[in-house]
Amino acid sequence: MAQDRAIRTELEGTVVIDEGLAVEVAPRKEPATPAEWVRENLFSSWFSTVLTVVLAAVIGYVGFGLIRWVFVAAEWQVFKANLRVYMIGRFPLEEAWRVWASVYLVSILAGLSWGVSRARLAWTRRKTALRAVLGALFLAALTYLIEGVTVWILLLGVAVACAAGFAAGRRTGRGALRWLAVAWLLAFPAVILLLRAFGGVPPQLWGGFMLNVILAVVAIFVSFPIGVLLALGRRSNLPVISAFCVGFIELVRGVPLFTLIILGFNILPLLLPPGMQLAVIVRMMIVFTLFSSAYVAEIVRGGLQGVHQGQYEAARAVGLSTTRMMGLIILPQALRNTIPAMISHFISLFKDTSLLTALAILEMLRAARRAAGQLQHLGSTKEALLAAAVIFWIVAFSMSRWSQRLERRLGVGER
Amino acid sequence: MTPEQESSAGDMEIVGAEVERGPDQMIVTQDVKKWFGGFHALKGISMTVRRGEVVVVMGPSGSGKSTLIRCVNRLERHDAGRIVVDGIELTDDIRNIERVRSEIGMVFQSFNLFPHLTVLDNVTLAPRNVRRWPKAKAEEKAMALLERVGIPEQAGKYPALLSGGQQQRVAIARALAMEPKIMLFDEPTSALDPEMIKEVLEVMEELARSGMTMIVVTHEVGFAKHAAHRVAFLDEGNLVEEAPPDTFFSNPQSDRTKLFLSQILI
Repeated sequence: MAQDRAIRTELEGTVVIDEGLAVEVAPRKEPATPAEWVRENLFSSWFSTVLTVVLAAVIGYVGFGLIRWVFVAAEWQVFKANLRVYMIGRFPLEEAWRVWASVYLVSILAGLSWGVSRARLAWTRRKTALRAVLGALFLAALTYLIEGVTVWILLLGVAVACAAGFAAGRRTGRGALRWLAVAWLLAFPAVILLLRAFGGVPPQLWGGFMLNVILAVVAIFVSFPIGVLLALGRRSNLPVISAFCVGFIELVRGVPLFTLIILGFNILPLLLPPGMQLAVIVRMMIVFTLFSSAYVAEIVRGGLQGVHQGQYEAARAVGLSTTRMMGLIILPQALRNTIPAMISHFISLFKDTSLLTALAILEMLRAARRAAGQLQHLGSTKEALLAAAVIFWIVAFSMSRWSQRLERRLGVGER
Repeated sequence: MTPEQESSAGDMEIVGAEVERGPDQMIVTQDVKKWFGGFHALKGISMTVRRGEVVVVMGPSGSGKSTLIRCVNRLERHDAGRIVVDGIELTDDIRNIERVRSEIGMVFQSFNLFPHLTVLDNVTLAPRNVRRWPKAKAEEKAMALLERVGIPEQAGKYPALLSGGQQQRVAIARALAMEPKIMLFDEPTSALDPEMIKEVLEVMEELARSGMTMIVVTHEVGFAKHAAHRVAFLDEGNLVEEAPPDTFFSNPQSDRTKLFLSQILI
């Protein structure tokens, strides 16, 4: 609700600015007092009263039980003691600076992007309160989990880096967006180099949440262009190209991801030329990328179908070549329409990286299961798995919120 | 009408077996045929449009009039016959097609503006990307054109915020931005509310007076009478009759033309 209202004011705001006129808004009936609101929304009839009471009882019972369990009964020691394994697996401690350096790099870039995008947060009272509560919970969790002063200082540094990037981003013009895009593209190989090169850590030792993130990021960013090309190729007039694209898409989509993972794990090494070896994690990157490209291709195909035929004709009529027509006119419109489906696919892809737990790869879910199996933490399985679930949820939820924001920003003023 | 146009008005030319390109023949179609599956849309159209001439194409729906002008800039591929635009014959050669397209501006019934670009960007897109003009030059030209069609104040808006008449005028500006030698109009006012038709027709009449070569598919009799040098009447894929507007409306020759005119002139 609060969000709906925020959008509406934003839209009304645009209209007012554009026309230079005051827009008359239909009178909206607002409840005068909180008591009135409660009566109107919760106790308007006997049925709604019963519903309110029953649901309140259920929510209260479950909520109370959950809160009591989380804060009193649960043994979070299993998560606290294994925090590092959750985050980076068996990554050697003396090389951990490489991970921190990567985190700093990404934080600065994220801050810069945020600043340049001029994103405004809608600080309604309800949202502020919600953010304050969530922030406090997060801080409390950190306080409980983190003991070393070093880690605190490093985390504080991350926040500072992000804020500094934000402040710097605010000051640069919108033209900086292009450079930022390049920087993000370069950041990725930079992170891989940071972890791997100059006597770094081989991929076999990468693990924990870091591994889930790296795997998902590789799959997302590499599969996106491949998927777009596959979608375009599918519509090609050349039968060889379209047959290849359709074949690839349908083959990959028709097989469960887990089957592909096992194929990549067991069979792919046999297909490689003799003497060539690929680390398991690299093979998994390939599997996830191929799997994702097939889905991206189908999502993009849907977006392409949403672009009106007249757009192709208008683009051709002004003399654009096919490449320019696709790049400047068709794809920008098609891709904008695919944002919800695309982000949704990327969220599931990110969560699917936990399937690697079955291959004894020490990603976060595996780390959680291993922690739960430790003698001193016997009986803490719930806590160990829940901790991993919460971390997955936080990232997936942030992605979905970001996607909504993106949709709103790109949707303004069009169609 | 300018004296120059008056002299060319009334001239009617039927192309013979040989396509000869005189210095002022802008568009020559010779026995052009087109099928859509089993539907025979054009059954051999031969027509010549001279430089600076304004030809209005009329005909009942399904008569092939849109198909004809869409063949002229290769949005449809003609199956037989020849089309020569300003000396360039339309073949499957993509370079010829792109050259012809950049000389022809086209305005569509449903505007087909690019919804993700502002009005200004709609107009500058092709000059910047096809003609490779620098941004400043393209924008200067675009603003001059928006001035010409009467909506410079809308430059920063997205098309969706404009009325139909305004959108169609932007579409005309977008087509003119490529400095075309020929303008094609495919029922430019059919999708407009009545009160917006006039503003678009005024722009088109001004364009006709400026000496632009134009083929206009329309049912606007007023426009045909004011601005056209010639009216061509198509029915069932045949070019039935061609005449200057005065003759066409007051003294039609064929029965099918008479029937059509009796239906649209009430």
